[in-house]
Amino acid sequence: MSARSAERWRARGLAAFAAVILAFLMLPVVVVVLASFTNTSYLTIPPKGLTLRWYEAVFNDREYIDALWFSLILAVVVTAVSIVLGTMAAYALSRRQVPASAAITGLLMSPLAFPGVVIGVALLQYYTLTGLRGGFIGLLLAHLVITLPYTVRTILASMAGADAEIEAAARVLGANPWVAFWTATLPVIRPGLMAGGLFAFITSFDNVPVTIFILGTRHMTLPVKIFTAIEYGVDPSIAALSTVLIAGTAIFLVLAERWTGFHRFA
Amino acid sequence: MSRRGSLVKRLDRSGLGLLSPPLLLLLVVFLLPLLAMLPTSFQPYIPGKGIGQGFTIEHYVKALTDSYYLEIIGRTLALGTIVTLTCLVLGYPLAFFLARTQSRWRPWLMLLVVFPLLLNLVVRTFGWIALLANRGLVNDTLIALGLIETPIKLLFNFSGLLIALSHIFLPFMVLVLVGVIRNLPRDVEDAARTLGAGWAATFFRVTLPLSLPGILAGSILVFVLTVSALVTPRLLGGPTYKVMSTLIYDQFLQLLNWPAGAALSFILTAIAVGLISLSSGLARRMGAGA
Repeated sequence: MSARSAERWRARGLAAFAAVILAFLMLPVVVVVLASFTNTSYLTIPPKGLTLRWYEAVFNDREYIDALWFSLILAVVVTAVSIVLGTMAAYALSRRQVPASAAITGLLMSPLAFPGVVIGVALLQYYTLTGLRGGFIGLLLAHLVITLPYTVRTILASMAGADAEIEAAARVLGANPWVAFWTATLPVIRPGLMAGGLFAFITSFDNVPVTIFILGTRHMTLPVKIFTAIEYGVDPSIAALSTVLIAGTAIFLVLAERWTGFHRFA
Repeated sequence: MSRRGSLVKRLDRSGLGLLSPPLLLLLVVFLLPLLAMLPTSFQPYIPGKGIGQGFTIEHYVKALTDSYYLEIIGRTLALGTIVTLTCLVLGYPLAFFLARTQSRWRPWLMLLVVFPLLLNLVVRTFGWIALLANRGLVNDTLIALGLIETPIKLLFNFSGLLIALSHIFLPFMVLVLVGVIRNLPRDVEDAARTLGAGWAATFFRVTLPLSLPGILAGSILVFVLTVSALVTPRLLGGPTYKVMSTLIYDQFLQLLNWPAGAALSFILTAIAVGLISLSSGLARRMGAGA
């Protein structure tokens, strides 16, 4: 066997291994989609029969629909505020002489290093003492803490690529600070804002470890609702709901890739 | 000149002004809650009543000496180690392929790695319940193939957690490694090949050592995420097969023993934050050495 053909076989072997691992990554996704169509009242793969009744059951369940809407609204508000706060922090850190800027950056990133469950139980005690537990504001503030590292990081990265001189030139030519930022810097950092916003949205929409401790009884988010439903016992309606989320995530990812070239930020 | 100086000063104040809302948020909703939990971890717990008055280190002593707690801490660390190694062994070849392939499908293959990360964690865990249950796909397939006769237990034990957590954290390892492998200087490998090194020698003596910073970063990330994970261990381990995070969950929400839960939280935090700061120190040293 020549060296060249050995090389080719090694490349094929590597590609085959990569394909197997990618299939492993998609395996639970495929299984959930298949299980959602079963006609049995228990979970089984491959599905026995073919029915959409589990989808009907989910869409007729007020608790699931309410939780979905609440999670979406919370995530949208969290994303908007997180982008604003993240831009403020990233702008100050990259465009202004700030004392101890390395320590401040580290502090802004630190919620990433702490286990979610620890932030959750600390907030449980703190919110119980301050009366924030169970309310929307408490949830919003907690989600801002865990999303801020993502918005700060991606916006900082895109600030590094934006030329500070352009905004300075706009100021010299008489533009007020807002106009100068809005017209000279914002268009350049927009991909970073979008990517940071996407991470913030997903982090908020997905979160269980922090949310479950501070939720109380007034509100319910979708992932916590599914989490508690699974603890009580699994049935195909959870698979149907999961499939809806899988489809939503896939559409979200394709759109995000079109808009921002998402895979470069991951 | 003096006008310029005053402008710079004004801009500096505006820098701190811009930073104060995010920093205030972190102070009030992150640092203060953590600090407030510290005294709780030193207070006695009175069963049936809750938090008592006084000062005690019994919760820390118990967590680090009691065999029940030690078993859970040991299990958590073992899980973290083995999940990390599994992700490394499965992830490195995939990352190498994704970093080097010339395929025009590369962006889409990368999205296949990213997709599970974006998908709700509860949904991914639910998929593993369907796969690993006694009448799940894995057991059914093994029985159909005649490899086993009765279902093997894959839920509520170590193997189930190992498989599911490796799946869940593999994308993190792959993404870190792809970034590092893409930035390796290819000419060093070419030089090794030109000088007569075989494929294996080039890989093990040039490529692999050069990707060590990425291996370290990815491993620390996966280890910390694994020992911190709550959702997957809770759903696949049930109420009985516990790791540190699910033990903390139970202490706070089921047993209402907040002092013990707080002490365990600080031990878990010490492991996670300690490892991360250790690794960033190591990375700086490796960066300075290179």
